[in-house]
Amino acid sequence: MNIKPYVNLYELLEVNPSSREENRAFGLTQVMLKNKPVEQLLAWIEKHKESLKKPLLSETFSSYLYRVTFALVLIAFALGLLAGVGLLSYNGEEPVNVIYFIAVAIFIPLFTMLLTLFAMLRARSTEGVLVHLSPAFWMEKILGLLPGNVQENIKALQINPLLANWIIIRRSQIIVLFFSLGLLLSLLAVVVTKDIAFAWSTTLHISPEVFHNFLHTISFPWREIVPSAVPSLELIEQSQYFRLGDKLDDEMIAHASELGEWWKFLAFSTLFYAVFLRSLMLILASFGFSSAVKQSLLTLKGTTRLLREINEPIISTHAMKREKAFISDDESYGQIVNALDASYDGIQGWAIPQSELFVLGDSMNIISPKHFEVGGTKSFEEDSEVIFKSHGEVLLFVKAWEPPTMDFVDYLTELSSKVDKVVVVPIGTVKNHYEATPKEIDVWENKLSLFGDMQVWLKRSSTKALSRGAENGES
Amino acid sequence: MASRRQIDFTHPKFAVVGHPNKGKSSIVSALAFDDSVQISDTPGTTTKKRSFPLSVDGKILYELFDTPGFQRARKVLAWLEKHDVPANKKHEVVQAFIDTHKDDERFNDEIELLEPIMDGAGIIYVVDGSQPYGEEYETEMEILRWTGQPSMALINHIDETDYSEEWKMALEQYFKMVRTFNPMQTNFEQHMNILESMAQLKEEWISPLKVSIKLFKQYQEQMLERSAFLVTRLVYESVSAVDTLSFYTQEASDEERQKIESNYKDRLRDLEVSTQKHIEEIWNHDHLQTKKKDLTFERMDLFSEETASVFGLTRKELLITGVTSGAVTGAGIDLLFAGHTLLLGGAIGALVGGTGAYFGFNELSEVKVLGQTMGRRYLEIGPMENRNFPYILLGRAMYHTMKVAQTSHAKREVFDIEMDQTFKEKWLDDTSRKSLEKYHKKFRSGSALEPTELKEYEALIKHILKHLIDA
Repeated sequence: MNIKPYVNLYELLEVNPSSREENRAFGLTQVMLKNKPVEQLLAWIEKHKESLKKPLLSETFSSYLYRVTFALVLIAFALGLLAGVGLLSYNGEEPVNVIYFIAVAIFIPLFTMLLTLFAMLRARSTEGVLVHLSPAFWMEKILGLLPGNVQENIKALQINPLLANWIIIRRSQIIVLFFSLGLLLSLLAVVVTKDIAFAWSTTLHISPEVFHNFLHTISFPWREIVPSAVPSLELIEQSQYFRLGDKLDDEMIAHASELGEWWKFLAFSTLFYAVFLRSLMLILASFGFSSAVKQSLLTLKGTTRLLREINEPIISTHAMKREKAFISDDESYGQIVNALDASYDGIQGWAIPQSELFVLGDSMNIISPKHFEVGGTKSFEEDSEVIFKSHGEVLLFVKAWEPPTMDFVDYLTELSSKVDKVVVVPIGTVKNHYEATPKEIDVWENKLSLFGDMQVWLKRSSTKALSRGAENGES
Repeated sequence: MASRRQIDFTHPKFAVVGHPNKGKSSIVSALAFDDSVQISDTPGTTTKKRSFPLSVDGKILYELFDTPGFQRARKVLAWLEKHDVPANKKHEVVQAFIDTHKDDERFNDEIELLEPIMDGAGIIYVVDGSQPYGEEYETEMEILRWTGQPSMALINHIDETDYSEEWKMALEQYFKMVRTFNPMQTNFEQHMNILESMAQLKEEWISPLKVSIKLFKQYQEQMLERSAFLVTRLVYESVSAVDTLSFYTQEASDEERQKIESNYKDRLRDLEVSTQKHIEEIWNHDHLQTKKKDLTFERMDLFSEETASVFGLTRKELLITGVTSGAVTGAGIDLLFAGHTLLLGGAIGALVGGTGAYFGFNELSEVKVLGQTMGRRYLEIGPMENRNFPYILLGRAMYHTMKVAQTSHAKREVFDIEMDQTFKEKWLDDTSRKSLEKYHKKFRSGSALEPTELKEYEALIKHILKHLIDA
């Protein structure tokens, strides 16, 4: 796995190419990937990748990484070659001290590999101090060489620290591996092209026996397979030299051909410690990197939402269609009556029983010869008969809490065409002493203003007198 | 006609019908979690039937219909009664009425409300139990009886007066079931009870409605999870936020220092407002937002002392939290050294934590001057150093989410978010404070978090929210 899915997902989450419905539809079609968030994300990226602007940021970024790594690999390889040539430089007077080469081919790789292992364990931390030692770390510093807009995009990307650390760890292994290959190549090339007298020398008091044991231990991976690649005690004794003695003593010269045997040991040491173990580290780093890419996909801003949209069923309770906006006409009605007259030609009640109309009339000291219940449970024939009998000025009581229906409007239209004046009086409940609330009267006023009949009036002043009268009526 | 009654029988349908202005739309709004339904005191607000399907991934489980109120019920009944038919043919007469008057504007409302019923919808007849019963309602109930569809009555309470008993006596004559439901004060449990009652109307509706109930529970869980996620992001992003401001003189001026602090505060305020908006959207209260735009906790600013006194910890609580969290860290060191530190780690940790908490009570975050050696000087503020701030922010977010989750979708008045001085005791006990502090400390450090850490914090927030909303 490479970094491309991560960068693609970052870009896709920024442009948000699909709706919640589309994401859920995707989730439903990818049933096999259920409960596998990383796989779901990878499949989702593949599906939507085409919608991204070309060239893809991931392509630019990967190619940048590739180019920088390639350049560093070449440099490392060249350095490896040069280091090898330098370590093996022999002028024919002084033998080549194998200790230097052993240090570069065995100890430095072992030490750096230990550091790498430590860095791998600490890859989660934001600041990987050891990672800063890596030449690959400086890749980031070369970011400035990229074109301005790409640079901006990459900066905005803010790569997850875990992923950034693994990118560097992995790429460092590649670079160092090529350094080691360079070293190995130079060793082989020098051995082929030159006649080198290898020797060993140290300030420490190390006897050839001890040194032999040490080299024997180091050679454990190949000593059984290639015994000739392990220096014998005899060779070690013959090739030891001291700075103040004769650099090339007689014995050394006598065994000149044997001294060259060291090269096998050095080649196998480089092959195993610097190349083979480093390759293992590279494999390990590749696994770590791959796992970091997967984990980092889940940490990108917007991933949680996306996974939720993919996996959660869309539950909707909303109306399919939008409702047409209702515009209320809060107009005030022009034909308002504040006080009622002492007598009317008729008192009628919309869905109010006749008995209650008598009580209401008495309580309000209103005299009328006719009291009729209309609407409600009355038939249209009965209503028509009442209208037929109506004339002059009519008082029409209505239940204030029941909003006016078109049935009422129909009746009112017919009644007003027959009489001179209709006064609509909204009354409250008995519990409320027949007192209508201003809100209830507003509803009636709105309805009557829509009706707009010059014969129809609305009683809307305080109904205190009425409620007082009603109490008397009830008693 | 018979074939028409068989159409669309794949999922249960319910038509909410009744007299004008008796709260039909409020009930639909509450049952459908939809605050876009127009509700007003003016009769005739609903002029067209409107469908509110409960769907999962596009599959409809049941459908609610909001309908206009009866306008000319007497005329309709008179027309129906002209046809002398046996009981098993009455529904055909209703259908004939619809077919005959389809283009008659006078019966537009009746046709709108009868159509879904004749298409197989169960009837939910709504009355206002806070107003007296009137015989004129019997006309409407009689028409509904003619349709032959299963029916139930819902007594709504628009006002405080109660005439439920007289309504029940009358309604039981016409309906199989009579239930009381106040859409303004409904909670999740009552909502589910109504769905269970609706399921009883017809045997074949029991199973889909049981699935719907299960789904509603899942829906509630989804909303809770999303809210917890947003609250978590809010606290994390606010506490770890860092702002910078470049300056080009030798020393940063006081105005520049004030400016960066003001920018920083504005950024945190914006984060809070945007989270609130998203939470309202999650709970389907999109329309609440428009009325509440400038209302931020009774204009109680995020950084005011007032808000700190309501939502924040007291100095003593903060001190205890600091001491405990410091001691825990110190104890970790003791453990590492198998107690060879003579438990000094715990003691020092407690002292450091407690001192930090005591002195970090009022200040927000230090304004630092950076980049002096690099040539480009800038001021930097953040991450938030005030130890009380996460609790204040969290308290406000919890309070807002709880209020939104508990608000009925039938409510149309300005969102009531009156302060509750005892709120802190309801959600923040010693245990949760200790658990939260562990994460707040991490957020303050500004270091990158493990994804699992935010998940753990989110789970904690979800648990607290659930407890608050269900209470």
